[in-house]
Amino acid sequence: MAMMTSAFPSNGPEMLGGFGMEWLNTEVSTGTTIMATEFDGGVIVGADSRTTTGTYVANRVTDKLTKVTDFIYCCRSGSAADTQAIADIVKYHIEFHRMETGEEPLVNTVANIFKQLCYDNRDQLSAGIIVAGWDKREGGQVYSIPISGMLHRMPFSIGGSGSTYLYGYVDSQYKPKQKKEDALKFVANSVSLAINRDGSSGGIIRLAAISKDGVERFTLTGDQMPKFFEDC
Amino acid sequence: MAAPCVEQPKGGFSFENCARNSRLEQLGLKKPTAYKTGTTIAGIVFKDGVVLGADTRATEDTVVADKNCAKIHYLSDNIYCCGAGTAADTEMTTQMISAELELHRLNTGRKPRVATANRLLKQMLFRYQGYIGAALVLGGVDVTGPNLYSIWPHGSTDKLPYVTMGSGSLAAMATFEDRFKPDMNREEAMKLVRDAIAAGIFNDLGSGSNVDLCVITKDKVEYIRPHEIANQKGVKQGSYRYRRGTTATLSSEVKKIELDVFGTEVKHQPMDTQ
Amino acid sequence: MAQLGQPLSDYQRPHQVHFSPYDFNGGTVLAIAGENYALIATDTRLSQGFSIHSRESPKTYSLSENTVLGCCGFHGDVLTLTKTLGARLQIFEKEHNKPMPTPSVAAMLSTILYYRRFFPYYTHNLVAGLDEEGKGCVYSFDPVGSYEREVYRAKGSASAMLQPLLDNQIGGKNQQGYVVQPMPLDRCIAVVKDVFTSAAERDIYTGDNILISVITKDGLKSEKFPLRKD
Repeated sequence: MAMMTSAFPSNGPEMLGGFGMEWLNTEVSTGTTIMATEFDGGVIVGADSRTTTGTYVANRVTDKLTKVTDFIYCCRSGSAADTQAIADIVKYHIEFHRMETGEEPLVNTVANIFKQLCYDNRDQLSAGIIVAGWDKREGGQVYSIPISGMLHRMPFSIGGSGSTYLYGYVDSQYKPKQKKEDALKFVANSVSLAINRDGSSGGIIRLAAISKDGVERFTLTGDQMPKFFEDC
Repeated sequence: MAAPCVEQPKGGFSFENCARNSRLEQLGLKKPTAYKTGTTIAGIVFKDGVVLGADTRATEDTVVADKNCAKIHYLSDNIYCCGAGTAADTEMTTQMISAELELHRLNTGRKPRVATANRLLKQMLFRYQGYIGAALVLGGVDVTGPNLYSIWPHGSTDKLPYVTMGSGSLAAMATFEDRFKPDMNREEAMKLVRDAIAAGIFNDLGSGSNVDLCVITKDKVEYIRPHEIANQKGVKQGSYRYRRGTTATLSSEVKKIELDVFGTEVKHQPMDTQ
Repeated sequence: MAQLGQPLSDYQRPHQVHFSPYDFNGGTVLAIAGENYALIATDTRLSQGFSIHSRESPKTYSLSENTVLGCCGFHGDVLTLTKTLGARLQIFEKEHNKPMPTPSVAAMLSTILYYRRFFPYYTHNLVAGLDEEGKGCVYSFDPVGSYEREVYRAKGSASAMLQPLLDNQIGGKNQQGYVVQPMPLDRCIAVVKDVFTSAAERDIYTGDNILISVITKDGLKSEKFPLRKD
């Protein structure tokens, strides 16, 4: 995910200049792999677990799958600070909405709140978010909100720097109305492939399956990750 | 330009000299450097609580500015916070959040939670978009048990069983990655944090002097400062006392100071309780 | 609002990275000329940025039986310069069948440094030894070859901390009624240890050990003394 984070204020690069400590000051650098896909009866979300500041791995077991409601998750990529702040604000708004309507919020509603925040503050934010979840009106849905605050529903979506290695794979492998197990395999395979090619993605694979029954969480550690050709 | 700041500040930062200062900088004036705690700070969760650790060196560029500064700050009776980055920022940020937590405690009548402190800190740092250069290790024990967070200057946080921050964070993290295991006992945990901080002290030039520790458990806090004096100061070989009269005198004069001496008697008076 | 054609603040703008031929590896050297000895001391820390490369890297180099060079700054240049100097001294010795006298070493070093006037060696140099009369002599250099003979001198990262102490303790500066007289060797070594101990307290690039070399007519003797390691 990518995560900008710096141990020193951004007004002081000159103070550390020439100390070989540029990583402490590194501004936003994007690097992550996130993904979501619809299946028959719900959605799967998946992500790697690496958070970096420059070349330093600040967190190797990050959970980039962030809960918004019991049935809706978001996948965060871009600046850690920005995406955490946005997710917190959306959670705050949607909790009120849930209490006012007395119903589980629609995925579309949540996605639109994310979009509005991302769009209104697009000059200051660096956040690429995928919102995915299940509601009783539309079933499983995936919404993609790339950097400057566009909103688009798609049957599946990939994001983060690792996604550039994946377009060909996902386009060839995606099938509509998959079974849950096949969809989980599809996401795990994709994230694993991205981790193996993208230096900014890594760690373990985190997955979640969301359906009318709620959320099931999975983690795949190094020895459980799908293996592909690795000799070059 | 605004008049000199004689009235009480209303709260928040003053930006009144920003334009002037950026102009002076364009003209080639170097801006003053703030003290940085080029630091090693670290914390781990163990069986009954958390252990926080810090070195005690503060630097100003390549010169040691303070050889024994305290980097573990008080937030509340059950929560402490180590600070790295700009010394003033870590000090003031923790003071402000400490005050907010105390008000929160008085309002709710409950012990503050670490998650609350984390939320207050991250929202404040996010608001200032990284310009408040505080990198923090937050730890404490509340109703949910022991909790440990790392907080970055831009406002992102990570909740982890072991964290490090500052310029010596790589040395300290190497120690943790090698030897951390879940559910350690108190002595093991203290030894591991000591070793992590010592790794920073000896291998990172921005960190130095002593090891401070803070052990927080359910109903006890031990702030151990210093836990270990990792570096003994060198012993002087010679004596450097000067002979009387070494300092040059340019001129001397004796003046009589006129004093009006009068006595005042302080009498006991009962307190006015009307 | 972002205007069309203006760079979006979301993205890091491209920036050019220049090749930088110099680095700074810290270290401090100090030399004192006595009546019949010369003393040269160095710390043994070699660092870069906030990292320590070596704790056992003294920055003094014995050039002959009675000449020692103190050389710190950019270690790459230190290596090149000492290699060149060694070669030149060997040539001299083969041609003249005697080692080069210390004052001549100093003069030659000056020309070697000035040869690189427009791409200098980033080194701070001191030469210590005995002159033709057997008296201690110390020469200090700037990076491009200006040099002069002095009684005591500190160079390198903590030089600004050491020099005022030497001015006071050896030069007798700011002491009324102080008569400057030749300092016995043991007193001189004690002062050197103390000024380095003090510098190690405040300069992050000075520490680990000091190596003190003393040159007398009987040859070269060295002594090690510990400093703080943090």
